[in-house]
Amino acid sequence: MKKYIIAIATASILLTSCEDFLTVIPETELTSNTFFKTRTDFEQAVNAAYAPLRAITTERSWLLSEMHSDNTYYGRNPNFGAVDPQEDLADFSVLVSNGTNPNTHLLNQWRQDYLIIARTNQILALIDGVDFDATAKANVRGQALFLRAYAYFELARYWGSVPLHLTPVGGRDEAALPLSTEDEVYAQIIKDLVEAVPLLPKRSAQQLGRVTEGAARTLLANVYINRKQWAEAEQILAPVISSGEYSLMGSYDMAFSDNAANKNNSESVFEVQYLEGAAGFQNDIIYRMMPRPLLAAELKPITGTNNTQSLDGEGNNIPTPDIIAAYEPGDTRKDASIAWVFLSSSERIDKNYPYIKKFAKKHSQHGNTGTNFHIFRYAEVLLFMAEILNEQGKTGEAAGYLNQIRTRAGLAATTAAGQAEMREAIFKERRVELAFENKRWFDIQRTDRIQEIIVPLGQRIVANPADYYYPPRAVPRQNVFTNLNKFYPYPADESNLSPYF
Amino acid sequence: MNNHYLSKIKVRLVGFLLLMFCISATSFGQTQSVRGVVTSEGEPVPGALVMIKGTQKGTVTDIDGNYTVDAAAGDVLVISFVGYTTKEVAVVGGQTTINVTLDLSTSDLSEVVVVGYGSQIKKEVTGAIQSVSGKDLQDMPVSSVAQKLQGRLAGVQINQTTGKPGQGMNVRIRGQLSVSGGSSPLYVVDGFPITGDINQINPDEIEELTVLKDAASTSLYGSRAANGVILITTKRGKAGQTNVGLNVYTGFQKVPVEGRLEMMSAEEFATFKKESYEDAGNPVPEAFQNPAQYRDSNNDWYDAMLQTAPISSYNLTLTSNKERINTAVVAGVFTQDGVVVNSDYRRFSLRMNTDYQVSDKVNIGFNVAPNYVIDNTPRTDGSRGTGILFNALHTWPIMPIYDANGELTYFNTFPANTGNIYNYPNWVRSAEEITNETKQMNVLSNAFIAWKPIKGLNLQSSFSTEIRNSNYFWFNPSTATANINVSIPTVAVSIRENYQRLSWLNENIATYTKSINDHNFEALVGFSNQRYREDRTRIQADTYADDRLPTIQGAINVNRGGTNSGVEEWSLTSVFSRLTYNYKGKYLFTAAVRGDGSSRFGADNRWGVFPSTSVGWVLSDEEFLKSNSTISFTKLRASYGITGNNNIGNYTSYARVNNTINSVFGETVAPGAAVISLNNPNLGWETTAQFDLGLELGLWDDRVSFIYDFYTKNTTNLLYAVQIPQEAGFGNFNDNIGEIKFWGHEFSVNAIAVNTSNFRWNINANISFNRNEVVELAEGIDRVYGTYHITQVGQPFGQFYGLVKEGYYMDAEDLANSPQVPGRSTVGSIKMRDVNGDGIITYGGDNDDRAILGNPFPDFVYGMVNNFTWKNFDASVTLSGSEGNQLWMRHLYSTANLDGVFNMVRKANDRFRSPEDPGEGYFGTTVGGGNVTGVERDWNSSHFLFDASYLTVRNITIGYSFKNLGKSIKSARIYASGQNMWVFTNYWGGSNPEVSMQDNGAGDGGNLSPGVDLSGYPVPRTITFGANINF
Repeated sequence: MKKYIIAIATASILLTSCEDFLTVIPETELTSNTFFKTRTDFEQAVNAAYAPLRAITTERSWLLSEMHSDNTYYGRNPNFGAVDPQEDLADFSVLVSNGTNPNTHLLNQWRQDYLIIARTNQILALIDGVDFDATAKANVRGQALFLRAYAYFELARYWGSVPLHLTPVGGRDEAALPLSTEDEVYAQIIKDLVEAVPLLPKRSAQQLGRVTEGAARTLLANVYINRKQWAEAEQILAPVISSGEYSLMGSYDMAFSDNAANKNNSESVFEVQYLEGAAGFQNDIIYRMMPRPLLAAELKPITGTNNTQSLDGEGNNIPTPDIIAAYEPGDTRKDASIAWVFLSSSERIDKNYPYIKKFAKKHSQHGNTGTNFHIFRYAEVLLFMAEILNEQGKTGEAAGYLNQIRTRAGLAATTAAGQAEMREAIFKERRVELAFENKRWFDIQRTDRIQEIIVPLGQRIVANPADYYYPPRAVPRQNVFTNLNKFYPYPADESNLSPYF
Repeated sequence: MNNHYLSKIKVRLVGFLLLMFCISATSFGQTQSVRGVVTSEGEPVPGALVMIKGTQKGTVTDIDGNYTVDAAAGDVLVISFVGYTTKEVAVVGGQTTINVTLDLSTSDLSEVVVVGYGSQIKKEVTGAIQSVSGKDLQDMPVSSVAQKLQGRLAGVQINQTTGKPGQGMNVRIRGQLSVSGGSSPLYVVDGFPITGDINQINPDEIEELTVLKDAASTSLYGSRAANGVILITTKRGKAGQTNVGLNVYTGFQKVPVEGRLEMMSAEEFATFKKESYEDAGNPVPEAFQNPAQYRDSNNDWYDAMLQTAPISSYNLTLTSNKERINTAVVAGVFTQDGVVVNSDYRRFSLRMNTDYQVSDKVNIGFNVAPNYVIDNTPRTDGSRGTGILFNALHTWPIMPIYDANGELTYFNTFPANTGNIYNYPNWVRSAEEITNETKQMNVLSNAFIAWKPIKGLNLQSSFSTEIRNSNYFWFNPSTATANINVSIPTVAVSIRENYQRLSWLNENIATYTKSINDHNFEALVGFSNQRYREDRTRIQADTYADDRLPTIQGAINVNRGGTNSGVEEWSLTSVFSRLTYNYKGKYLFTAAVRGDGSSRFGADNRWGVFPSTSVGWVLSDEEFLKSNSTISFTKLRASYGITGNNNIGNYTSYARVNNTINSVFGETVAPGAAVISLNNPNLGWETTAQFDLGLELGLWDDRVSFIYDFYTKNTTNLLYAVQIPQEAGFGNFNDNIGEIKFWGHEFSVNAIAVNTSNFRWNINANISFNRNEVVELAEGIDRVYGTYHITQVGQPFGQFYGLVKEGYYMDAEDLANSPQVPGRSTVGSIKMRDVNGDGIITYGGDNDDRAILGNPFPDFVYGMVNNFTWKNFDASVTLSGSEGNQLWMRHLYSTANLDGVFNMVRKANDRFRSPEDPGEGYFGTTVGGGNVTGVERDWNSSHFLFDASYLTVRNITIGYSFKNLGKSIKSARIYASGQNMWVFTNYWGGSNPEVSMQDNGAGDGGNLSPGVDLSGYPVPRTITFGANINF
């Protein structure tokens, strides 16, 4: 008998120690079983939800919204291939096949937005189950709601109807959802933002660079404007102006952040945050927007770096002759926004190219700047208000807001009279004030002016390719300006994986 | 620890005892006494059976081979012994002395072979296994044992994917594949499954190597067995002998000029450029107006990277097995310079194996094998921009390697109007000045105690450890770069990466052997625990003030993103058992099972069970075949079993939180964390169920022996990161899904073609046919894409995929009447097949014209080893080949870039220039720039696909043995050996038709993307001279 007891005891010891022996928890990473337990966990989680904004801003937004308009174009370099994805966006030649296209920029924009959504969904699903300081919790919730709404707002403007994920995905079965209509998506965006506004602190009470009440109000106003809900827009936006938290910077060029100085200034409502240096948060957007091929010696006066290197390939986001001509005489914003560079290696006869100057601040290492990028500036808040008022017939009040912008630009007050003229004046003012800030395509899209503006642009490019930076041996491709749709086709790789689109 | 010498002795003892019993039971008749000596090759044979045919009478030879037996005239003596051919001698009346010479058996069926957890008489093995003796491999001048095995093993494909010294051997048993799990076999050294690389083991330490192929022979390795198992037995002393051996060789390696990729010379390149400007109607830049000016100033950049390099190996071995101590010591020094400048490999190794017989019942043993390896190789391999050999290949040959003073240039560029868009650093400098060095310290050690409390029972407990520490150091000084278009001076960067790895195993095994009449049993039970831990630290620093001081403190920046640390850990608990039974050694049966609990498996799926069973029937022991004079041996065997592949990553089942997804607010970095993977508590091993049917045949007294195996395998539960729509916030979900079916045939034959007293010729040949088909992937997913491949249900794994090249649009009429790429096709541009018949050529998307183009896997692989001896000379010729496999000549996207951006393959001289001068139909027109040429260059198509069948004369060795060297030297032999002497192939894209690489230069293209040629490190021809001396 004793023998059996010993045997059983030994076996049970072996078996229990066995489970311990076989449980090997990763030591250098946390797992979901151990995370989302404390205030710090949620604060870190919301920090991570901001992170995709950097990649979206440096790599995609300007391609999908600015170069996909009459503001910028690419600088054709026939020595380089594999540039179709960018050219297709600028040329309005994104082929639609069963509603999809494999364009890599579309794919990555989609994925980055859903990354924000998944991270905020995790927070919003779990935060109520953990007890911590109510103010801190409200702040985290508000930021998460804002970021989710912003990501859906991007998706709604690029694609219209998209899958609406509001809870974390737990396994493979839950990964794909049917498309929700544009209206359903906007309803959720508005719901999230309405909830976020009272949760978020004012700018003066929030860590600089984070989402604030003012940012949430501005985003919600933008959403209402897109939905043409003018009264709601006015109501939500007015406190931003009356709060005294924001003001225009003294001169236009001061609005744009330098490396360390001048970030998150009083004109900034919400901007994507970068940091110069080796920590991995740098911005390289100005390099992406340089005309090419550019020798180191030609680049150095612009960047002033210690280790300047030449840039090859094909340049993108080059200001078009159209935007250059759009500035009124005497507009100080023109020279603040656009400058010229000589490309000795270019195959063009005219080797002078314009480039976007407003973000090009001096820095020390090649490819590494700390320049932030605006999502919303107070200047846009004023222009929003002008538009909101004008659309409600309050054209006179609108002029006041518009003129604040014009005055700073060194221009006389607007001469627009009547709602229609004022509408046009605001539309033009937005183009130059917010040039290269990824607003132009959305303005054209929401005002239904695609045919009116893009068709003639295409005709000008095809007729005079040299004006649009084609060298003598290159011509516009045959399929340019063949897709003037309001929305982009769905990313083919995502479509392949989803049964719903 | 059982080794096969002990077992062999055991077999002899059992035979001896049985016989003594028989003899004592036999009465003596009216006979005469016959005596004599049994010898073989001049040495006495102790323990041989001398029986009188048809009776139970007989005896056994003593230690000097003497015997005495009573026999009558007319009796026939039958003299037999394990390992020798049985001989019959008639007793002539009055004859009292009969000396017998036994011949070594041509087959080794009675030999004992190593199997998992023990050894077995080869005749009684019921699994598909194959052994190679270390002695057969010793002459080959290569660093690793895998290289030595090429061509020798049926059903095992061994490719050398890169020529980097000490690297790049890809071993696949029976074509095993997985979507994302590892596919390399499990290596077991003296019973210890190692986690490291067998390339680091000194091949001279190896006594024998056994490949376990089917489930019956591997299932005792459970969740690690599905890729097959290779058992390595290291050297032991031979009973009663002490031997000191010295093996040395030295020689040189060189990349033969024939077989290299032929690139344009400077003059040809300038001519090409001139013509392309003329054809486009553009003015010719000054640099190309007179191509003849470059006639005497060609710069062969690829050749400049290569050198003739020495190789040497020195091994000193002591083996002794006397007075209860059995010792083997092997000390080795191996040094090899690479054929690419500034690459070398050094290995210093020692192994000491000692067993001590404490008493009749207790045996203990200790093995320890440290080695130190220094491996320095520039980043030669990789795609354009990262692999310096690729970069060198396509650098303009009009760019000077040396300046006017004979110094290496730093940098070459041409004005933009020449079409030069890159600045090219000097690649020779890159190789010479960039440090890329790994130093490794490896120690394998093992201790065991074995106790035989009662007859037939052996209890053994062992503890093994494997320590592998390595230091990696990369330093890119400011004066060099491995990347195209990086200006010099550049930012100096250093990377230090240290690994500390420890694996330990405790194993406890009981074996019980019992024979009852003709029923023979062996039962084995055991349990084991194994644990592995790896600690890694990586520090990356840049911006050095002085290239001479690449310390961490010498750097201005420590790169945050490149500086990190990590831990990898796993544990494995196992119980296992095997029962072997045979009746008269004729009807054979084995059943085995292993249960593995692994930390890698999900919490709800911790334990896997892996059973197998096998049967064998030795037909030649049956009466109806016994008297057959042609067939000397026949065995049929069959096995079925289930094995697993646990190479699924250590933490794959967890939902991991990455806490380095940080953000910035103002100038403050705020730590961020996010869930980056989905958890799967059910995640488990990949399961392979395998059936094997084998036939072994010996003819003419086993002078010819033949083995045939047929197998089918089904691998299910493949570990696969199933892609999910990223609207979920995750890219994939790790799951066990899908099914791949494998089947194949293996033939091997061993024959003594000629056997006279002076001349002997032995042929050992094999051929294997391996096939596979993807039966199922994930639900709703019927294909997975690699970069150049597709893995699709109903098709073999990893097929080449792209557009089908039809040729070129030969003239305007051809263009008008053929499907085109809208806006891009012109006369002379590449013409693709309109697979979907919509009249337009489309790449990707819903109107895709892509199709399966070819297969990276061979129709069959084969090998042949010929051994000759003639008087004191010996020679061997080893061949290995592969038929029907294709390679993706990926480097053509640069080496045949028709825009004239890079130097080009010589064949591009014969490109399409006009309908009147259409060339050889291989390269298209240069006119139209990237819009036109990009279709040929940037779209994957059969343009890149070539047959890469090859036959390689792997090794030729000629040796001479000295006889009668006196007392102190037992034997001495000198030899010359040539490795990789000739490669016969139609493949023209480079000198190594076995190449397979990933874009980052890692050898072995991975499971989903095999057979891609990015022009990696070439495999040299090696000529060496050596000597084997035994004292």
